[in-house]
Amino acid sequence: MLLQVENLKTHLRAGKNIVKAVDGISFHIDRGEIFCLVGESGSGKSITALSVIQLIPQDICSHPDGRVFFQCGDLNGNGSGERETLDMLTLAEDKKRQVCGARIAMIFQEPMTSLNPVFTIGDQIIEVLQIHWPEMNDEEARRRAIAALEQVQIPNPEVRVDEYPHRLSGGQRQRVMIAMAMACEPDLLIADEPTTALDVTVQAEILRLMKALQARTGMSILFITHDFGVVAKMADRVAVMRRGKIVETGTLDQVLHQPQHDYTKQLLAALPENLKRQRDLQLVESPLPKATSENKIDEPPLIDLQQLEVYFPIKKGLFRHTVDHVKAVDGVDLKIPKGQLLALVGESGCGKTTLGRAILRLVDATAGTISFKQQNITQLQRKEMIPFRRDMQIIFQDPMSSLNPRMTIVSTLIEPMAVHGIGESKDERIEIARQILQRVQLDGDHLWRYPHEFSGGQRQRIGLARALVLNPQFIVCDEVTSALDVSVQAEVLQLLMELRAEKNLTLLFITHDISVVEYVSDEMAVMHGGKIVERGPTDDICRNPQQEYTQNLLSAVPRLVL
Amino acid sequence: MSHKAEAMATETTQAEEQQSEQAANRSYAAQVLREAFTQWGARFGLFWIAVLAAVAVFAPMLANSHPLLVSENSIISSPMLRYMTIGDFTLLAIFFTVVILLFVRIRFYKKVITLFATGLITTIIAFMLVSPPQLTVYDQYRAKQAAGDYDWVIHAPIPYSPKDYIRDAGDTGLEAPLKAVTATGDVALRTHWFGTEENGSDVLSRMIHASRIALGIGFVATGIAMLIGIIIGGLMGFFSGAIDMIGMRLVEIFEAVPTLFLLLTFVAFFDRSLYVMMVIIGITSWPGYARFVRAEFLRLRQQEFVQAATACGLPLRSILFRHMLPNGIAPILVAASFGVASAILAEATLSFLGLGLVDDPSWGQMLNQAVQSSTFNWWMALFPGGAIFLTVFAYNLMGEALRDAIDPNLKKSAG
Repeated sequence: MLLQVENLKTHLRAGKNIVKAVDGISFHIDRGEIFCLVGESGSGKSITALSVIQLIPQDICSHPDGRVFFQCGDLNGNGSGERETLDMLTLAEDKKRQVCGARIAMIFQEPMTSLNPVFTIGDQIIEVLQIHWPEMNDEEARRRAIAALEQVQIPNPEVRVDEYPHRLSGGQRQRVMIAMAMACEPDLLIADEPTTALDVTVQAEILRLMKALQARTGMSILFITHDFGVVAKMADRVAVMRRGKIVETGTLDQVLHQPQHDYTKQLLAALPENLKRQRDLQLVESPLPKATSENKIDEPPLIDLQQLEVYFPIKKGLFRHTVDHVKAVDGVDLKIPKGQLLALVGESGCGKTTLGRAILRLVDATAGTISFKQQNITQLQRKEMIPFRRDMQIIFQDPMSSLNPRMTIVSTLIEPMAVHGIGESKDERIEIARQILQRVQLDGDHLWRYPHEFSGGQRQRIGLARALVLNPQFIVCDEVTSALDVSVQAEVLQLLMELRAEKNLTLLFITHDISVVEYVSDEMAVMHGGKIVERGPTDDICRNPQQEYTQNLLSAVPRLVL
Repeated sequence: MSHKAEAMATETTQAEEQQSEQAANRSYAAQVLREAFTQWGARFGLFWIAVLAAVAVFAPMLANSHPLLVSENSIISSPMLRYMTIGDFTLLAIFFTVVILLFVRIRFYKKVITLFATGLITTIIAFMLVSPPQLTVYDQYRAKQAAGDYDWVIHAPIPYSPKDYIRDAGDTGLEAPLKAVTATGDVALRTHWFGTEENGSDVLSRMIHASRIALGIGFVATGIAMLIGIIIGGLMGFFSGAIDMIGMRLVEIFEAVPTLFLLLTFVAFFDRSLYVMMVIIGITSWPGYARFVRAEFLRLRQQEFVQAATACGLPLRSILFRHMLPNGIAPILVAASFGVASAILAEATLSFLGLGLVDDPSWGQMLNQAVQSSTFNWWMALFPGGAIFLTVFAYNLMGEALRDAIDPNLKKSAG
């Protein structure tokens, strides 16, 4: 047994309050196994990892109970192979430093900030090596750094070793982080959401790499994630965490297929894959009239984009002349019929968000035309756009920044109504706002609160309410659920589906999450490099993608086979 | 590590929830102020400024050679009231309006309008009704009281006006605190808590009246600078592009103007007027605020709630002033509290160099007097110098506390 955690408690002090972030958990990790810790945000899974490696500042954290035994092999590097068992919580500071990095290594979520931008990646790996093996000379260290980079499949490691982090992509940086963690050949690698910030195709590569490295070196991995798809791909054993406690532990098969605890069942049921299955079952039982897009095919489309281009100039030099353009949207033709839910899928940087904002004229188009209800709105002035604003709305990704923190919910909701002349008096508008808030399943009394008093899911509902007060026909949903936990995501998606059916809304659903697309949409469009590469009914594309890019994208999605 | 911080933050939200339940219905501004003024430093700063403001407003009642009330031949009159100036009345009216408005719950902009209206109306009324006598003879009261002409008399706590020069009461004008003597060398009945300066006028009285100049120049100069800075900075930040370019060049030009030398030049060639000083300090210190506002607006423009406001078709005025400005104002307020301190220092410097106001006392000018005297009279240096120090220190403390309160990063590491 490599790591044994017994009844660990980690309490964090926030002002006068004490938060029981980890509240008595026990688990163990054997040599050579991948142990996944799954849970929603705030469940204490990251704090568990930080407690094991003792990275939480001492002044805000305390361990009232519990022990963390780590069976540490070969600390001095003399090859004697003797193993000693250490209690990480009571370990002296200098000993702890020897263990961390050398025997336990950690990789973090955000590859953009976890490398120091002023050192070359080689220097950063060499530093780790020389700290843990002080007798190692520079050439040997450099040779091992190159070997480490080669191990994580960085092309041209001899050259790349001297490059600075900003020259590397997000996926490459995460590889460098892994190389750095692996340089000292640790017994235990703690990976805290290592692929959450990456695109699916990159994520698939990193996961494959980690699995291969683990198989070769025989180390153990404590893998922390919120994504059951990733769990299904990686884990030997799984523990589900909730509010600082482990509710269920078992092998991958047990947890996914015979979940014992109610919370695990809820989590699994909330996955979009399962939501879709439930919906399909319902459809078989009571066949609803099929999606509206088919019987209205003769009608002119609500939104019609022709050769739409949005370029952002790259300016350089003393006189800021334009040297090149970033082609965010590069010639897109897209028709959205009334009542359709079109999903726009693509990886980060493919221009899907820019496209969504360009349709609403929040970003100016460089060329091409945007028509809404057959009226060309591409060149309209700010004032001329105002009547159209009422019919076209947007819901944003980030629930933190999408509401004005200095305004109560009621002022956020009634101000647009006043501008567009909805409701006779202020009281009437407040009444409309109250009804809409209740429609998105919030309490009418929440009107008088400020945004910081709400959770992420509640804010996203308020964002939805703000879009709905103007009674629009078309809403752009820009990654509306990607900042939410699975169970909250399921609620918000179901609400969106209901509202769509009720008000016959046309939606452009922008997302990177294929499983969400499969659940919500009738039609999908795949975007890559500013262009739409494939479009068609969702089921057809998912089962039988035609373009090579779509095939790669779909095969990279970590799926839960149930 | 950002994820770690996030994870910790989400886990501490449970604790924050309890706080936020109490904080329900409390606005962000109220929260920030609450947080800032729980620190003892900021409380001290606020206390000192409040005391100073009260002293400045009630200066004629606190330090005046004119008795507050006299009864002469059974006729009761108030020479203090008769000699009050238009400025005194306006200040009093504004002060009471502020106090009342603090307890009235109406929208903030309505409060501002009310305040300005009150100031304007009282000034106009005072212009028509108040005409203090041109000539003042302070000795008349002392002579009449000595002769027993009054039935009874109520003096101000410090019965000396700032320009009540009692040169010939002692052997020289200068008297150390509480050591007043008569011309013959006996202990006099007069008490000068902070001593007198070389012309024999009371130092404490002069300091009390000078606090008006210190506060006034701080508030008005910073107000002018903030107004210009917010408008220009806001336009630069929101529109960016060409407007931003022109604006930034303007900022750079004004930043290159040496305020102190400009002030010296103006004072040397033109009238020595307090208002000119205020305006000059104001229009040379706006670039700092403009930079702050511009940076804030550039950041806010990308925020999704601003995009949402645009998508809802709200008018530009509302987006700029309702949605963006309140979210970007906090760093400007912090800068302003430091700005007030530096404006006070600028005036003190000028007066210390002997280029301040000719007749009216100011703290810097009193320091200048202390230096020019042939002997070192500690009371003339210590008290005005201490007042400048405390005031600037108080503003800096408040600025610091405000900055800590609005900075979410500091909050996280502290919690």
